[in-house]
Amino acid sequence: MLVLFETAAGFAVFKMLKEKALKDVDNLPQYFASAESASQMVQLAGFHKFKNSAEALAAAVALNEGKACKPLRSVLKKVMKTEVQKKLLVLDAKLGTSIKDKLPELEIVSNSSVMELIRCIRGQMESLIPGISEKEASAMMLGLGHNLARYKLKFSPDKVDTMVVQAVNLLDDLDKELNNYVMRVKEWYGWHFPELSKILVENTAYVHTIKLMGMRTNASTTDFSGILDEEQAELVKEAAEVSMGCQINDEDILYMRELCDQILDLTSYRSHLSDYLTRRMTCLAPNLTIMLGELIGARLIAHSGSLINLAKNASSTLQLIGAEKALFRALKTKKATPKYGLIYHAEMVNRAPADCKGKMSRMLAAKASLAARVDALSEETSTKIGEDSRVALIKKVNFLSAGKSHQLSGRSKHQAKSKPHFSDRSGAESIYPVSQDTTISAVKRERTDDEVEQPAAKKPKTEKLEPEEGGGEKEKKKKKKVKSEPVESVVTEEAVALHDVSVEKKKKKKKKKCKEEDEQE
Amino acid sequence: MAIAFVSICITGDFLQEVLVVEEAAVVIVVVVVASVVVADLGTEVVAVGVVVVTVVDLVVTVEAVVEVAAEEVDLAAVAVDAGAEDVDFVKRGGKAMLEPHRHEGIYIARGKEDVLVTRNMVPGESVYGEKRMEIEDRESGNKVEYRVWNPFRSKLAASVVGGVDSIHMPKGSKVLYLGAANGTTVSHVSDIVGEEGAVYAVEFSARSGRDLVNMAKKRPNIIPIVEDARHPLKYRMMVPMVDTIFADVAQPDQARIVALNAQYFLKQGKYWLRGHFVISIKANCIDSTAPAEAVFAGEVDKLKAERLKPLEQLTLEPYERDHAVVVGVYRPPGM
Repeated sequence: MLVLFETAAGFAVFKMLKEKALKDVDNLPQYFASAESASQMVQLAGFHKFKNSAEALAAAVALNEGKACKPLRSVLKKVMKTEVQKKLLVLDAKLGTSIKDKLPELEIVSNSSVMELIRCIRGQMESLIPGISEKEASAMMLGLGHNLARYKLKFSPDKVDTMVVQAVNLLDDLDKELNNYVMRVKEWYGWHFPELSKILVENTAYVHTIKLMGMRTNASTTDFSGILDEEQAELVKEAAEVSMGCQINDEDILYMRELCDQILDLTSYRSHLSDYLTRRMTCLAPNLTIMLGELIGARLIAHSGSLINLAKNASSTLQLIGAEKALFRALKTKKATPKYGLIYHAEMVNRAPADCKGKMSRMLAAKASLAARVDALSEETSTKIGEDSRVALIKKVNFLSAGKSHQLSGRSKHQAKSKPHFSDRSGAESIYPVSQDTTISAVKRERTDDEVEQPAAKKPKTEKLEPEEGGGEKEKKKKKKVKSEPVESVVTEEAVALHDVSVEKKKKKKKKKCKEEDEQE
Repeated sequence: MAIAFVSICITGDFLQEVLVVEEAAVVIVVVVVASVVVADLGTEVVAVGVVVVTVVDLVVTVEAVVEVAAEEVDLAAVAVDAGAEDVDFVKRGGKAMLEPHRHEGIYIARGKEDVLVTRNMVPGESVYGEKRMEIEDRESGNKVEYRVWNPFRSKLAASVVGGVDSIHMPKGSKVLYLGAANGTTVSHVSDIVGEEGAVYAVEFSARSGRDLVNMAKKRPNIIPIVEDARHPLKYRMMVPMVDTIFADVAQPDQARIVALNAQYFLKQGKYWLRGHFVISIKANCIDSTAPAEAVFAGEVDKLKAERLKPLEQLTLEPYERDHAVVVGVYRPPGM
C-alpha cells in the first residue's frame, strides 16, 4: 500500500510496512509517537524534490485545482515499477480521481483513516523524509506560502507603487546632486577662466564647453557650433583671449573633464528617469495622471507612502498635502488655514486666475481624490473617471478665467437661449414699453422730439442691453432697481441720466457676458 | 511481565513518593518536577525525565534521577529567594518600567498607564500605527523596542488582560492562526513566538490578504496563506503539525472549521506535547437571537463532540460585548 504525501519541498510516496495498523485508527498515533517506531510503519518509496520555487508554485496550483501535475505522475510511475500492490492512499479525493485517469492501474483510496495516517506522517515529517532538513523544509514552506499568496492576489509588477515613490525621491536627489556638481565645476573651472560662468549661464552649455575646450587657450581653435550659438561662441573666444584666470596643468583639466562627464551622464540619466516615471505612473494610476500630471501625482503618492494611503485620505487632505507646517501652525494660532499644498503646481490650478486658485484647488482635489480611489481599489483599469473629471474641470477653469463666478441656472439658460436674434429690432412688443407705466404723461409729450432722437441714439446701447432682460433674473438683488428701470425711452432727464449711468454700469459689468451671448447667437 | 508506571512528583517542599516494584521487569519511571511557582511572577519550571530501567538497577537509578531533579528544584528555590528581595525582573528604562507577564513573550510596561507590550521583531516599524516604546535593557544596556498591544483591538490581548490561564504560545512554538485579517494580532503573535517559532496565518479575503502579505514580508516567521479556512486541504503543503490553533473567524460554522483544521494540523501527543486551541466566539455571529451564554454553551458542546476538550472559558468584557474565548486541548486521553 502506498501513501501520497505532499510537502512544500516535494512529493513523497511512502510504502506502508504494517498495513494492518490502518484498521486500528484510534491507536495509530501511538505507532508514530517516535521516529523509530514511525520508520517501522512507513518507508519512503519515492521522493521528487522541487527544483526551485517556480516548480513548487506550479505544483501547488495544480494540486489546488485537483489536477495531477507532471512531477507527481513521474514519481508515482517510478514507485509503481517496484511496487506489487497498486493501492494508493490520498487525502484529496478529487486529486485521486485525476490520478486514476492518468494512471488507471492504481487503486485510489481516500477516507478518514487515510486522514489519520497522513496526520501521523506529518507529525514525523522530518525524520521520515531524510533528504530535507527542518530548516530547508520551513524555508520552502515560507517561499511557497508567499508565492502562492501572490499568485492568488494576482500580484502584478505594474501595480507596485514602491517604484514610483523611489523614482520620484531619486529625481529630487539627482536634482540636488546635479546642482552641487555644476556649482563645483563652475567654481573649479572659474579659477582658470572666470568669465565663462557669466557668459554661459545655462548649466549644460557650460559643461559641454569645458569638455570641448579644455584649456581656455584652445578656445580660438575649437568649434562651438554644436553647443553654442555664434554670438555666444564669439563672446567666449573673446573672453578667452583676455581672461584674468590662472594657468592650470593638463592633469587638472583632465579631472575637470571627468567631472563634466559625470555631470552629463547624470543629466541624461535624470531625463531617462523622468520618462520612466511617466510610464510607471500611467501604468499604476492612470486616472490620477490624467488629472494632475505625472510629477504631482507621483509626489502625492510618495508623500502619503502608498497609493492606497492616498486613496484613504479625505479630499481636503489631498488638497493640503505638502502644506502641513502652515496648516498646523494656522490651526494652533487660530488663523486662516492655507488653501493649497502640492496641488498648487497642478496645471489646472495654474490656469485659474489668482483669486480663484483656492476654489480650483478644492475642486481639483475633490475629483483627484475620487480618481485616486478608483486607481487604488478598482479591479479593472479604466480611465473614464479621469477623463470626465478633467473635461469638467477644464470647462470650470475657462469659466473662472472668464470672470464669471457661476453658471447660468436652468431657467435663465432656457430664456437666454430662446431669445431671438438682436438684429430684428422691429418688434417693439419684444421690449417692454416702460413708458406705459409712468405717471408723468406730460413729460412724455414734451419729449417727443427727443424721443425720436433718443431711441435712435440709444439703439446701439440697447442692443447690448437686450440680453440683460433675460439675464436680469440672475443678477444680484442690489442691481434690481437699476435694471428694472426702462431699458429704452426715458421719461425725465434724471431718468435719462440715471439710465445712462446704469447703462454704463451694466455695460461695464456685462460686456463680457453680452459678448459671449452674442457669440452664442 | 508487569509494566509499572512510577511517578515522582517533587514540589517546593521536596516531598517524594517512591514506589519500588520488585517483580516488574521493566519499569517506566516518569519524573516530573512540576509547577514550581515563583511567587509574584508565576513562572513555571518544568523539568521532565523519562527513564526506562530494569528491576536490578531500579533503586539506584531512581535515586540518581531524584538527585538530578532535586538540584533543579534547588536552583528554582534560589531564584525565588533572589526574586523576592530584588525587584529584578522589573527593568527600569526611561519613563516606563518593563515587567514580564506571566505568559512568555508578553510584557507589561508600567508608566503613566500600564500597557501590554510585545517585543518588536522589526524595530523601527509600526504595523498598524500602534505606539512603540524604547526601553533600555538593564543587563545589556541596549535600547529594546516594544510595541503596544491594544486589548480593544485584539481579542487575544483582551483575553490575556482578562486573565486567561494560558494562551499556549511559548517561544519557538508553531501557531496556526485562522482568520488573520490584516495581520494586526498576527504580528503580536509573531513577536511572542519569536524567530524560532512560526505563525501560519490563514485569511480568505483578498484585500486583507494583501496587507497580510505585505506585513509578512518583514517578518520571516509568518507564512501568509490566502485560502478559505474551511478547506485545509488547499494549504496542506504549507503547514506542518502545529502546537496551537488560534481561531478568530467569526463564522457560524466555526466549530466545524476549527475541528477540521485540528484534524489536519493540530498535534496530539503525551501530556506536554498535546495541541491546544484558543477560539474566540462571537455570540451574535453564531446566533443573534439566542442569549450569549446559551450560544457559548452550544459551541462548547460542538467542540466536545469533535474531541476538542475545553479547559477554560472567559468572556471578553469590558473590551468586547458578547464575546468569549475558549481555551482547550485536543484529543486528551479519554476523549
